[in-house]
Amino acid sequence: MLEARNLTIKYGLRVAVAGLSLKLQPGEIIAIIGPNGAGKSSLLRALNASVQAAAGDVLLDDRSVATYSRRNLSRRIAVVAQEADLRFPITVLEFVLGGRYAWSSNSAWGWETVRDLEVVQQVLHETELEELSHRFLNELSGGERQRAVLARALATEAGVLLLDEPTANLDLAHQAALLMLVRSRCDTRAASAVVVTHDINLAAEFANRIILMKEGRLIASGAPEEVLTPLLLREAFGVTVLVDAHPVTGVPRITPVHEMLR
Amino acid sequence: MTSTAAVKAPGRVVTLDARLTFRRMFIACLLLLVALLLIIFGTSLLGSEQLPTRATICALVTYGDHSCGLRPDHEAILFDIRLPRIILAASVGASLAAAGASYQALLRNPLAEPYLLGISNGAAVGTMLALVYFAGNEWSRPMMAFFGALLATLVVYRLALGRAGVTPERLILAGVIVTTFLSSVIVFVTTLMDATRIRSFTFWLLGDLSGTTSSMLAITVAFALLGTAVLVVNARSLNLLMLGERDAFDLGVEVGRVRLVVFIAASFLVGSSVASSGSVGYVGLVVPHLVRLSLGSDNRITIPAAALAGAIFVVVADTLARTVIAPRELPVGAITALVGAPLFIYLLRRGI
Amino acid sequence: MLLVYVSKSHKSQNIALLLIIAACCAGSCVRPNPEAQSTSSQQVREFTDETGRLVRVPVHVARIVSLAPNLTETIFAIGVGDRLVGNTTYCDYPPEAKAIAKVGDTLQPSIERIVALKPQLVLVSTASQLEAFTKQLDDYQIAVYVTDPRDLEGVFTSIKNIGLLLGKEIESLALVNQLRARTLSVEEAVKSRRAPSVFYQLSAEPLYTAGRDAFVTDLIHRARGHSVTAEVPGAWPRYSGESALAARPETIILPAGDSMGADAEIATAVSRSPAVVNGRVYRINADLLVRPGPRSIEGLEEIARALHPEAFAK
Repeated sequence: MLEARNLTIKYGLRVAVAGLSLKLQPGEIIAIIGPNGAGKSSLLRALNASVQAAAGDVLLDDRSVATYSRRNLSRRIAVVAQEADLRFPITVLEFVLGGRYAWSSNSAWGWETVRDLEVVQQVLHETELEELSHRFLNELSGGERQRAVLARALATEAGVLLLDEPTANLDLAHQAALLMLVRSRCDTRAASAVVVTHDINLAAEFANRIILMKEGRLIASGAPEEVLTPLLLREAFGVTVLVDAHPVTGVPRITPVHEMLR
Repeated sequence: MTSTAAVKAPGRVVTLDARLTFRRMFIACLLLLVALLLIIFGTSLLGSEQLPTRATICALVTYGDHSCGLRPDHEAILFDIRLPRIILAASVGASLAAAGASYQALLRNPLAEPYLLGISNGAAVGTMLALVYFAGNEWSRPMMAFFGALLATLVVYRLALGRAGVTPERLILAGVIVTTFLSSVIVFVTTLMDATRIRSFTFWLLGDLSGTTSSMLAITVAFALLGTAVLVVNARSLNLLMLGERDAFDLGVEVGRVRLVVFIAASFLVGSSVASSGSVGYVGLVVPHLVRLSLGSDNRITIPAAALAGAIFVVVADTLARTVIAPRELPVGAITALVGAPLFIYLLRRGI
Repeated sequence: MLLVYVSKSHKSQNIALLLIIAACCAGSCVRPNPEAQSTSSQQVREFTDETGRLVRVPVHVARIVSLAPNLTETIFAIGVGDRLVGNTTYCDYPPEAKAIAKVGDTLQPSIERIVALKPQLVLVSTASQLEAFTKQLDDYQIAVYVTDPRDLEGVFTSIKNIGLLLGKEIESLALVNQLRARTLSVEEAVKSRRAPSVFYQLSAEPLYTAGRDAFVTDLIHRARGHSVTAEVPGAWPRYSGESALAARPETIILPAGDSMGADAEIATAVSRSPAVVNGRVYRINADLLVRPGPRSIEGLEEIARALHPEAFAK
């Protein structure tokens, strides 16, 4: 179980996150929303010890993440960042196999084991990338590449997934598909996920809990219905919104109301 | 243990072979090794002095058995001058190619190469200092060269580190600055000081594989083997680092540690090469790319294959350097540049 | 003289004008003042130097700059060392030469220093220095005479030419006769002897030797030695170790001197040659071998003594 306790992150003198606490339960998806500069990505980075906490702590199973070895931590927490920056030709298969690094015993020279391949096989199937496994990553479309990034994170078999704006470059069809994959992973294997996103409606649909941040601080935390209120959203984003219920799913639906300057 | 995994998925059975990568590496390296040995053998027969072919082959195969009928001075030419030089060429080629491949992976830059980044020149300055201050001690040269190379690496890396990390543009800029600065230092020092003690600047800037003692040769070969082994052991980490330091970190690579180990190993490789034979350019640039084009970017294959291919490349280049205008000699770096530059242009057009 | 009208509204324009005037004045200061060089009716003679250039030299040359050690030695040898006002940092013989003002080294002498010494003639030793300055020195109307001695005979010619230039024909002829007599005596002494093979090692690692166009190759030939690299094109070629080894030279000559150190190493390639085995490795003062001047005869004599000790045993 992943927990942040009174977490404060500073870059020099600038405070990115101030005294934030959250607890991630197995099987749940938490969405972190907030305006730009709210500290969402910094929070995410601190959760897997990419960024050091200036104060407070991040605990995995009651042990500070700083005490885990890199390899150990990567087996438990995986990150899905935005598209990879590719400078060398690499196939989808090789790329996804990279996720098994943390499991290699003789890590350095280590050749892939049977188990590695089984896991990757499964994951490629889940993310519908089997057909593309021998194609080069830079030949794929944006959506397919993002699926590959997710596939790699899933290949680590980590119990916690951290996703930083995973749907930013995806079209409508793929956005939902990706989050459904995350959802099913959490449901079937009691994994949990923290998703930073700008898409509030998507967050409402897939997240168990939503955390609303502004300027490094936690403004609200709770079920979508509790957090996604016009008042709170106005406070965070400075935008007037209309909140109703999605006609099909019933989750909160957020529609911003803009002032038209004509 | 079954080496294949076949998972039944609805509609399709896809087979992945665990041994596939390993097998490819093994075959590729075996072929390259055989090619290298053949080329070493073949080039032993070539040189500014004609040696009787049959007797020479016999001597090579039996390692100097006198019954082969090779005259003593031909024997001396073969075993004291030619063969050591060829072996040195192979070590230098292997070292520079393996180092180049590692820099490219670590710095995520296809142009990263010991010469272009100023690391070779750093090693040269180190060696020159050793020649001036520790003239008698042979070990001081590769050691000071190592420090020079490492220092140059750290300077270039620091210079290239911007807020967004080490971008290709910044890296090349930093490399150009350091290379040209150190080249000037080399020219300055060699002009001021007595050339017979510290060699001329054509030696440093264009390389020269003649004139090594057997102890320097042994050191270079040992460093080449050791350094390449260390790099190969870190190859899988380099695979991940090639995709970005952040990604690698997230996936469990101890980025800082791997970076340091690779820089140190590569500095040993570059240092020992430059200390014994000056800067031989283009090897670390062209050979890894050719290898990647044919065998893919997996560093577990690329690094050992590049080492072997680099050895072949420099052995051939040096053979040309010492035979085309015989009995005069050309600096080997001139040949590697003449061959390497067009090759590189070709690679650029293929899109590296 | 210009009157400048300063008006408040045109201040910047006037500043610009002032700057332009200042620049013009500065410019005229830099241009060489023709009057300084040739006094009213200096007579001038025309010579063709050893590279075929036409040179105009005053009849009486009182101030000379020498840009090579061998030329300095020649100048002193014909008795006009007192007219030398500038030479290079390498000019160290005779000892008096050291006290003369230095204008830099042989490869990159300082034009400014040369001009400041107001010489009437600058002597240059090889055509390679030519490009660099003759053009510039022409602008200052300083005569540049290039000598290009390729062999011993060329040295004699140069000495005679320098004698002509400086009004010392008699002294230079006397010197040449002396040197020639010594040369002939050496050649006589070794005339019928077998020429041992010689390897001239300029540097060990990398291996450089004396080729066809090197001055010392001529000396070796006259001393009745057979330089194994006499046919190699160029003056100082980078040589293959194999070929040096295969040549199995009977003797090795190493240039030695302050800069080379008495213990210049023998190249590995020839370290087991007959020369080394028989102890016939000779270190000869480099200055005697590479400076094409009066002391080259000493160089010749030393080489001959090294190659044919029996001929000079008395």
